[in-house]
Amino acid sequence: MIRVRGMHKSYRTGKLVTPVLHGVDLDVADGEMVSIVGPSGSGKSTLLHAIGGLDRDYEGTIEVDGRDLRAMSDVELSAYRNRHVGFVFQAFNLLHHQTCVENVALPALFARGEGMLSREQALDRAREVLGRVDLHDKVDALPTTLSGGQRQRVAIARALFNRPRLMLCDEPTGNLDSVMGKAIIELFRRLNEEDGITLVVVTHDPKIAASTQRTVRVQDGLVLEGAGDALEAEAAAAENSSNTADAEASAEGSADPESADVPEDPADAPAQEALA
Amino acid sequence: MRSARLFALVLANLRRSRNHFLLASIGIVVGIATFAFFLALGLGVRAVVLGKIFPLDKLEVVPRSLEVDVGPLRMGLGQDALDDAMAAKLGALPGVTAVYPKMKLTVGSIAYGGESLFGADLRSEIVADGIDPALLASEINKDGYQFVDHETPERLAAEPPKACTADAECGDKMYCGEPPGTTTPRRGTRKKPGPDGQPDQPEPAKVCRHFVPVIVSHHVVELYNGTLRRAHGFPQLNPDAVRGFTFDLIIGESMVETSNQDQVIHDRGMFVGFSDKAIPLGITLPLGYVQRYNVRYNGEDAAQRYHSVILEIPVKDDVAAVAKGVEDLDLKVKDSGAEEAALLIAVFMMVFGLVSAVIVGIAAVNIMHVFFMLVYERQREIGVMRAVGASRGDIGRIILGEAASLGTMAGTAGIVLAVTAGTIFDHVSARYVPDFPYKPTTYFDFPWWLIVAALGFSISFCVLGALLPARRAAHMEPARVLSGA
Repeated sequence: MIRVRGMHKSYRTGKLVTPVLHGVDLDVADGEMVSIVGPSGSGKSTLLHAIGGLDRDYEGTIEVDGRDLRAMSDVELSAYRNRHVGFVFQAFNLLHHQTCVENVALPALFARGEGMLSREQALDRAREVLGRVDLHDKVDALPTTLSGGQRQRVAIARALFNRPRLMLCDEPTGNLDSVMGKAIIELFRRLNEEDGITLVVVTHDPKIAASTQRTVRVQDGLVLEGAGDALEAEAAAAENSSNTADAEASAEGSADPESADVPEDPADAPAQEALA
Repeated sequence: MRSARLFALVLANLRRSRNHFLLASIGIVVGIATFAFFLALGLGVRAVVLGKIFPLDKLEVVPRSLEVDVGPLRMGLGQDALDDAMAAKLGALPGVTAVYPKMKLTVGSIAYGGESLFGADLRSEIVADGIDPALLASEINKDGYQFVDHETPERLAAEPPKACTADAECGDKMYCGEPPGTTTPRRGTRKKPGPDGQPDQPEPAKVCRHFVPVIVSHHVVELYNGTLRRAHGFPQLNPDAVRGFTFDLIIGESMVETSNQDQVIHDRGMFVGFSDKAIPLGITLPLGYVQRYNVRYNGEDAAQRYHSVILEIPVKDDVAAVAKGVEDLDLKVKDSGAEEAALLIAVFMMVFGLVSAVIVGIAAVNIMHVFFMLVYERQREIGVMRAVGASRGDIGRIILGEAASLGTMAGTAGIVLAVTAGTIFDHVSARYVPDFPYKPTTYFDFPWWLIVAALGFSISFCVLGALLPARRAAHMEPARVLSGA
């Protein structure tokens, strides 16, 4: 499905050129669930954005279903993102002035051709997708009133709105506590297994990486395949430390420090159970 | 992206950032209000000045004569009148749709009467001219009053006047008088009755006649109300109430002794309305009456001695060509000052148009700043839209749509402000500014194209101001803004 060949990417700041990726090769098969790990600044997100058609400023080729993304016009690439790709970001990236259902239906605004829906059809579908992530009761809520886990589920619902074949997730659990993070990953696994959606997840979390079918590591601007065994060991170690941390967190009643600004909603608990 | 959805999204964004937009649009509102107000004022004044004072769609053509000053006198050399043949030539000029000859009354005449209006009968020398009634048909002929020649030979032949002894025997707006064209010895020249007690010349049998329709210029009433009435202690006249006022017309009699004729015509006139086409100081009658009076006292040739001819030129662009044609016929266009007035008004409109353009231009720069700021504030949102499928064009359309909507709203507000200011201006003028000749009921003209132009102006400047921000938004790298790089 995805074929990356010889991808080079550099960032320019004035005259300063910072190379990030040096000839990355990567293949992701249809229906596969792949995690991309690596240190901060290694280019994981850059690779993900390029695969999603958000960034065309690179060298090399990225083909999705045989179509070279760089050869597409802006309108074609926009249609590709709209119809075939669902993005999930660490920071959720919801529009705070719109309700959950409007956020989820946002892709319908930019649909073209056969994918066009009436407003009512779009809202109906958005409600249905919100139901799939167990947010039936938050349809008309504003994102600012939701917990971090709920916001990420709204973002996932938005990514699922157009029933994409490919979901690209950039640190999807980065702002969530470990329990909610696990539930989100479980949701991804279910989408992958039941709906056959191809998932590429960028993560720092070895537990999440270990839960995917395949893990690739981006390091020094290159992709290193077969990092799975090492990661499983890292995951096991992380599991032990996280259990300890969770116990401490439960005792203190606090959430993940990274999402300290996001109120955790007790409503997440049944959702976590449902997702699990 | 569907237009309806784009519109809904744009409106939602405008609502969301209403405070920013409200402040940004103040300049546009003021600029458009200035633009619409002064343009409408210019058009309104132009309509009064060029439509009434110096009508540009009508040219008055007079004979070209060489004038020579001889001592205190000015002698006119060459022809001083036009005839039917020349009128026909003028009518054949391209762009001329109608020709209306004008003729001055070339015999002394007196108006007498007015007790019902002034409290006493007045006697005054009058200056009169005749004009083709067709020129005023739509303007005067209403409310039962008509500016027509009731006594053309054809009409008199078809409907001979019936005999009478008193006004009551005749119909509405008619009187019992001497038969048309009858002359009688001027007062003071009548011979004393003979030995048999009968007058030397018997009184003619009376017949029912229509009053001679008379129109005057608004200027006459303004002059009366402004000056004459004060000098003589007369009441102020309401122009609307003086229609139907009747008076005696004595043609051939004059306060200037040498202008007196032995035989005079006693007719009666009725004031039927006002028109800017009437002679500025005097009275205007249907052309036929003046022709008959002139023929009676100056011979048959006088029937064709027109002193000027009015040419109707509906298309203003044809005026220059017609004026050239007039010169080619060795005639000249009467200098009415229209060109100077038109130039003055054009300069006035241009200056204020420029001022409003500057105001709107500055406002557009302000709009640009606001949109740059909004684009910066919304960059993550724009990134999200791009991620879910918005193309660069979609993003550009959203920003420009907001600018166009802002322009529409600000432009509408500006036009409403201009119309309101104009209404207040007119109200103040009507209430506090003293009457003067041609004082209009409104100084403003807001034609549909002015509204469209003002809106277009507003929308164009807003869109122009938002072009760069829209371009920046459309070319924003979504990956960069979404990753927070």
